[in-house]
Amino acid sequence: MDEYTIGVLTNVGLLAFLALSAYVLLVAGELSFGQQAFFGVGAYAAGVGTAMLALPLPLAAALAMGLGAGAAALVGLPTLRLRGLYFAMATLAAAEMFRIGFELFRWQVEVGGERVGPDGTQGFRGIRWVFEHGVEPAQFLLMVWALLGAVLGVLVFVERSRLGVAVRAGGQDPELAAAVGLDVLRIKLGAIVAAGALAALGGALFAHHNTYIEPRNFDIMLGVHSLAYALIGGLGTVLGPLLGVALDIGLLEGGRFLKEYRMIVFGGLVAVLLMFRPRGVLDERAVHRLTRWR
Amino acid sequence: MEPLVDFLQNTLDGIALGASYALLALGFTLIFGVLRRANLSYGPAIMLGLYVATWAHLHFAHGLAVLFLIALASTVLAGAYVERLCFAPHRGGSAVAAMVASFALWMQLEEIATLALPRHLYEFPALYDGPALSLGPLAVRPEALVMLAAAITVAAALWAILHRTRFGTAVRALIDAPRAAALCGIHAGAVSIQVFALASAIGAIAGFLIVASHAQVTPMLGMWSTLKGMLAMMLGGLGSLPGAVIGGLALGLIEAHSQWYLGPQFRDFVAYLLLFALLALRPPWMSTRSAS
Repeated sequence: MDEYTIGVLTNVGLLAFLALSAYVLLVAGELSFGQQAFFGVGAYAAGVGTAMLALPLPLAAALAMGLGAGAAALVGLPTLRLRGLYFAMATLAAAEMFRIGFELFRWQVEVGGERVGPDGTQGFRGIRWVFEHGVEPAQFLLMVWALLGAVLGVLVFVERSRLGVAVRAGGQDPELAAAVGLDVLRIKLGAIVAAGALAALGGALFAHHNTYIEPRNFDIMLGVHSLAYALIGGLGTVLGPLLGVALDIGLLEGGRFLKEYRMIVFGGLVAVLLMFRPRGVLDERAVHRLTRWR
Repeated sequence: MEPLVDFLQNTLDGIALGASYALLALGFTLIFGVLRRANLSYGPAIMLGLYVATWAHLHFAHGLAVLFLIALASTVLAGAYVERLCFAPHRGGSAVAAMVASFALWMQLEEIATLALPRHLYEFPALYDGPALSLGPLAVRPEALVMLAAAITVAAALWAILHRTRFGTAVRALIDAPRAAALCGIHAGAVSIQVFALASAIGAIAGFLIVASHAQVTPMLGMWSTLKGMLAMMLGGLGSLPGAVIGGLALGLIEAHSQWYLGPQFRDFVAYLLLFALLALRPPWMSTRSAS
């Protein structure tokens, strides 16, 4: 594989984490405009971990996931009872506060005669763990996709369990779900926290892929994109978000013959697609039809 | 004395800023109130309209009135296009799908605008380029007065349209009881596209005044308009027109004061913090209608 393909595939993998985190919430019946904040928390936490505290990447990524989950709980607890656009706006407000927080975040230490660390709006450069440990781009790609595979495996397992059914039930009709004895709020909080950890893991990998992050990376555009990926791909299976990312990046990279008209074509395509499939390409019905063939 | 003057000056600036937010929020709220759907393409449609006007200004058109009409017509067209592609197909269906579709068209409209005019900044004829009026120790920009007058006029006109015309009655019927309205023979599809046209026209007025006050247009206009319109609507209690005006003015005041007292980075932070707190605590005026 050439370097270019590796780069594209790595990006698909990284964004898939964020799309999956939006997917988890969509399945739980909530719409978040704020998953980019936890992606950012993960990126900053992991960057601080490896570049400043000299932690190994796996440990830094674990720390990032913990902080991402904690941040999500912090946002989720006061907004647990909100629904629809109220919840979406609350997550948007929280995410923007996080982004402004990143802009104010200045903490640098001396590492090898160089000042390393977040420097407000100037961003955070020198997250070079991958480079310093001789991880080749292809190996990093493998790492990203292995982790993504593991996450997908866990999600598939959960979806097939009673818990997965409970999450979907709470997402589609919270009153009915509560009436059959499900603790809808607790399930929702669980989904929020899991989605936060997922986004943070993606952010941790993103920071190490890019070596440089800045607050602007984590603006609302990223969040709405991930939401769109999850919905385009489909809410019927965990592979949906992956398909959504692949569709966008695939068109972005493969459609270079369209050059500057790409967004015009893609935007129109998505709108038309959603007319016919409002729950995405791989919606529940499509998944049911496909799995029946076994 | 000095702190008081600062405070009053900030309040004036905040009201001026808030008037533009109120205008944006009126259009956004009109769509949300009728459709119960957030139209993320609201700002980008305004941006496209203003870009068309700027393009016309660079090529052939002169005079603010002509440019305004061009911006108005193209924003309304863009708004109708968004309604047909994103909201008409999902009527009675998924709100999320409609919102994501409107996001997809956001990307599309923005791309069309920046393809036509790729630079990061274009000059736009200024609404007024003289000195500010002085009111004792305070300074007032005449554009701000125009903006405020426009916000009040639009709010009053909107009230009159909604309460004194057949169309307005149909709109209110749809807001209050969509099913009953349909049973009475009100055509939801037709009213929906008219509402979009009206909201886009209000958006175009807002966008035009904002752009002409700053005498420049940038590609940030689309995202900025959607965000501020949505934020002001939420602050004002979601879906009520007087609320949109109050929310817009409140947002302007919050931004002006927090920028002065806490620094530029807190300008947006305080507004978001307040919104988050309001949503989490849900004071009575914010929970009059369910938004799910």
